[in-house]
Amino acid sequence: MSKNACPRLFEVEAMRDGRLGDAERASFERHLRTCTACTREAEALEALARAVRASAGAHEDELHVRRERNRLLAAFDRELVRDRRAPRRWWIAAAGVAIVAGTLAAWRVSIGSVPSAPPDPSPPLASAIIEANDAALYSRQVEGRRERIVLQRGELRIRITHPPGHEGGALVVSLPDGELEDVGTTFTVAAAEDRTTHVAVDEGSIVLRLRDRPPIVLRAGETWRAELRPPPSSTPSPTPTPAPSPSAVPSPPAADASKDFRDAMAALAAGDHRGAAARFARFLDTHPRDPRAEDAAYLRVVALHRAGAVDETKAAARFYLERYPSGFRRAEVEQLVE
Amino acid sequence: MTARRAKAEALQATDAELLARVASGEIGALGELYDRHQASVRRFVDRATGGAEDVDDLVHQTFLAAAKSAAKYDGRPSCRPWLLGIAVQHLKRRRQSFAHLLSVLGSLRIGRSATIDPRSSLHARTDVDRALAKLSEAKRVTFLMAEVEGFTCAEIAEALGIPVGTVWTRLHAARRELRAALGDPSIGEEGA
Repeated sequence: MSKNACPRLFEVEAMRDGRLGDAERASFERHLRTCTACTREAEALEALARAVRASAGAHEDELHVRRERNRLLAAFDRELVRDRRAPRRWWIAAAGVAIVAGTLAAWRVSIGSVPSAPPDPSPPLASAIIEANDAALYSRQVEGRRERIVLQRGELRIRITHPPGHEGGALVVSLPDGELEDVGTTFTVAAAEDRTTHVAVDEGSIVLRLRDRPPIVLRAGETWRAELRPPPSSTPSPTPTPAPSPSAVPSPPAADASKDFRDAMAALAAGDHRGAAARFARFLDTHPRDPRAEDAAYLRVVALHRAGAVDETKAAARFYLERYPSGFRRAEVEQLVE
Repeated sequence: MTARRAKAEALQATDAELLARVASGEIGALGELYDRHQASVRRFVDRATGGAEDVDDLVHQTFLAAAKSAAKYDGRPSCRPWLLGIAVQHLKRRRQSFAHLLSVLGSLRIGRSATIDPRSSLHARTDVDRALAKLSEAKRVTFLMAEVEGFTCAEIAEALGIPVGTVWTRLHAARRELRAALGDPSIGEEGA
């Protein structure tokens, strides 16, 4: 930011996005009336929005819209017809199965003892829930009974549910410099510049196989980072490092993290700024590696600021800057430290 | 306004009522819903994809998916946010399919320049369109929802299934990139 810019410039966007509380908003509106830099910034943001709104949108002629409407209604009609026919087909299939089962039973009785059918050798697919960050470029492929996720860059948080009795081995993440096999169940993996940069396991365990290195097993609460690899003279391969938090205890399930974050957001929205700050602090302690941790650290600063707790705001702001030195909201938070 | 038209408007069904009729298999109700919202959904999808060739298909898939899950609609009077949320899910799936295609072509040792990246097929029509096309789809969709469609950040977060902090982050980044692409000199000041 230039030396001549107003220190409250960031509040222009904060106000536009509804990030300011009532008192802050009123204060900033008063400031806006006298500050040229902020007024210019507000006008620039509005001009940008106006330009995008005015840019060419879809111009479809009436005939085209009618054709598309008919296509939609025809497709919906086909769906309805298929749904209505489905039960009939189901009964036909059921009758077929009953006939085959009856024939087999009769054959079994006539032959005597028949070895029981071997169990299905192909386990059912695990179900993977993927949360990708903005930069993530990945794809999903099914190879027989196994799913492969190909991560080219960015960060994925993956939660896997295995069917009972088939834990592990049903999902593989291909990385630029190796692969990662899931042994269950929740983990985060990141890649950049053609190499794996970070793997953190919340629950269960994974096997990380990187090119020219022995496999690394990571269990709940363990993290591997590319930059933490020890020099070749000490140990031949990177070793898992425990998570840097009070968590010798594994992190709680992701669902709890979501609930904790939602609760904190609800407190903030309800104007319970003290309560929100406490909840965001607890979220940071409990879920330090959650993708929303930076948001939580920032929102704690916001909540304390709104609560009028000057010293605590500064402390929370310093915490944010230390933990996220190149964090996205660094400029805004720096204002609050001073 | 004639008395008949006023009466017709007063009797106009809400989106929730139309969706309930769609759920019971009434095709006419889907037609009415389409007439009411197709322009808005089309405009959003068109801008979100930078005017891609498959806008018609995405709009079609959005309304068809809405019709199939009409029984689950939560009953809010206007279903426009819900429809745009469905459109966003289809956009996300489309992006993942393209990523898969790139990966398959990459494994066949075809140069990246020869692959079909949806972003390269964006035929931008103005400077603003070109700048929008340069944004990642996630940022573009978030920006359009906020600044063009008039959603609040909380509504966007709900529709996209992301934290509101992520919405703020994407909005800030989108504005910054758009202003830089459009030659806004104040961006240089901020970034200095």
